Amino acid sequence: MMKNLNKKINVSGQAVLEESDVKPILETLKDKLISKNVAEEVAQKIVNTVESNMVGKKLTSFTRVTTAVTKAVESALTQILSPGRNINILQEVEASRREGEPYSIVFIGCNGVGKSTNLAKVAFWLMQHGMKVMIAACDTFRSGAVEQLRTHTQRLGVELFERGYEKDPAAVAKEALKKAKESRCDVLLIDTAGRMQDNEPLMRALSKLINMNNPNLTLFVGEALVGNEAVDQLTKFNNRLIELSSQDQPHKIDGIVLTKFDTIDNKVGAALSMVYISGAPVIFVGCGQQYSDLRRLNVKQIVSVLLS
Amino acid sequence: MVLAELGNKITGALRSMANNTFVDEAVLDNCLKDIATALLQADINIKLVKQLRDNVKRAVQIEDMASGLNKRKVIEKAVFSELCSMLDPDTEPYELKKGRSNVVMFVGLQGNGKTTTCTKYAYANKRKGYRPAMICADTFRAGAFDQLKQNCTKAGIPFYGSYTETDPAAIAAAGVQRFREERYDLIIVDTSGRHKQEDALFEEMREIEEAVKPDCIVFVIDGSVGQAAYDQALAFKQTVPVGAVIVTKLDGHAKGGGALSAVAATDSPIIYIGTGEHIDEFEQFHTKSFVSRLLGLGDWTGFMDK
Ligand SMILES: Nc1nc2c(ncn2[C@@H]2O[C@H](COP(=O)(O)OP(=O)(O)OP(=O)(O)O)[C@@H](O)[C@H]2O)c(=O)[nH]1
Ligand SMILES: Nc1nc2c(ncn2[C@@H]2O[C@H](COP(=O)(O)OP(=O)(O)OP(=O)(O)O)[C@@H](O)[C@H]2O)c(=O)[nH]1
Ligand SMILES: [Mg+2]
Ligand SMILES: [Mg+2]
Repeated sequence: MMKNLNKKINVSGQAVLEESDVKPILETLKDKLISKNVAEEVAQKIVNTVESNMVGKKLTSFTRVTTAVTKAVESALTQILSPGRNINILQEVEASRREGEPYSIVFIGCNGVGKSTNLAKVAFWLMQHGMKVMIAACDTFRSGAVEQLRTHTQRLGVELFERGYEKDPAAVAKEALKKAKESRCDVLLIDTAGRMQDNEPLMRALSKLINMNNPNLTLFVGEALVGNEAVDQLTKFNNRLIELSSQDQPHKIDGIVLTKFDTIDNKVGAALSMVYISGAPVIFVGCGQQYSDLRRLNVKQIVSVLLS
Repeated sequence: MVLAELGNKITGALRSMANNTFVDEAVLDNCLKDIATALLQADINIKLVKQLRDNVKRAVQIEDMASGLNKRKVIEKAVFSELCSMLDPDTEPYELKKGRSNVVMFVGLQGNGKTTTCTKYAYANKRKGYRPAMICADTFRAGAFDQLKQNCTKAGIPFYGSYTETDPAAIAAAGVQRFREERYDLIIVDTSGRHKQEDALFEEMREIEEAVKPDCIVFVIDGSVGQAAYDQALAFKQTVPVGAVIVTKLDGHAKGGGALSAVAATDSPIIYIGTGEHIDEFEQFHTKSFVSRLLGLGDWTGFMDK
């Protein structure tokens, strides 16, 4: 088999690609993706798609099979990571402002992924763009969650809306929205408690908060460290939001905040897994613990690291 | 639980091989491929998976004379002994000693569950008759001291920390000294989250370690961490003498393989696993009995007790 492969790779000209030409190369590429922390299932699916696209194709002269296959994978990755719908938060906030309504963003996700910290970074970013921001402390469960946000709001000089612990987070969000409108805030950032995607009562509580308050934007916060679990997290958060929705147009995940990007070296695969599974674009990348550590996703760079 | 799921997949792969009358190279490759896929889906580090595959193949080749049933046994044994050596670092965890102040320091990546786990650990040992006390040596994270304070208050555990002191090593040293004087026999030091890419954070960890000279350093890792787990864990181990691992958030769906890679990297046993946000959602983990069940291919449940 190896001999056969070597021969084919070096062959240029009009050879029609067969499964046996493409498969070994794709296996290697799949391993590469997994080593970069792409979920196994996602890596396999991408490779399968490329395989079915390639088999039967004629290669133009002087193209090596490896080159052609790698190119095909590269363009598949780029396509997955490039947002189908673009969300321009600043423009949307402006539009809301003209209508006299605060624009609301809710941050959701599993425990400890960086929701509260990156919410504070987004507040900082919005303020740099001249927006008046309010933060709602709707994690009424985890010890220190309210004080954590109070510290951030004091440092940033923005208003905090909180009702302490053990309150219904959906009700706190509702009050906060009212207050944000009264205070003529442009944006209300709603922090929520971390939860596991399988925790039914907590998923219901989250759905209630969203149904009751109709946020303009629902951001899923996921950490770049997460492995295969990314698939299950995104699938279940999205599905539960849709299934539990009381509306004709259910809210689902609008976008992703990819955090802790500074902790993973070249293992950038979680970005791919998350976007592949949810179809939602990465809107922000958190890359540190300072307010200014918030970036845009660089698709080109990610693709090149994935294949390097 | 999830390790069991992985176990089932591996057992399944071995069983499907048993359905073949002849175990030739292709059959072996297929079986190893299935096992590798299961391990990768569980976030086991890809390098470790490759190693396992090679080692099994080598073991089988050595025993090449054997055939049929024997060959299958050889493969089975090789697979499981590889898994076991990954899980069982062959070092015993630090045993708390009654009648003296045991100092245990918690370290780990950001948000992996250190502060929560400190409280669970304190509470579990309080129930075993120890007198625990906790120190917040996290001066970085917003609300860190409040979090620890509220946790301790709920659990009825004394705490020490500061809103104004900015040097975590100084706080840790002062706290340990005070609780030693007050004769607490389990002094727990919570530290900030950190990662290997930021030298200053690792240097800070070293300073705290030097200041309190802990009897045991516990590395806390989130069960959902993927391929980056191994490198991070290794870097922690190379900076401070990690002696035990606690894997958190296993109440989700995560298979915890990243965390198992961390065991391989730190050469330290898993002592507990976290299975929820509440203080009692914490289970003791017995590597040995887990491994022996793994070897016995038997019952996969019940290798933990509460
Ligand atoms: N290195 C790094 N650390 C981060 C980043 N974002 C957040 N963190 C850290 O991750 C830890 C957890 O962050 P939080 O914002 O409290 O996470 P959370 O999702 O709100 O946590 P819960 O509310 O408990 O579910 C903190 O120590 C943060 O400083 C990031 O981009 N890079
Ligand atoms: N579901 C679940 N959540 C957990 C578990 N252990 C911790 N958590 C949650 O994970 C989040 C982060 O926990 P912390 O204890 O603040 O983590 P940390 O490592 O101290 O974070 P930093 O100090 O910012 O590095 C919180 O929301 C905890 O409630 C667990 O076993 N299961
Ligand atoms: Mg939070
Ligand atoms: Mg902490």
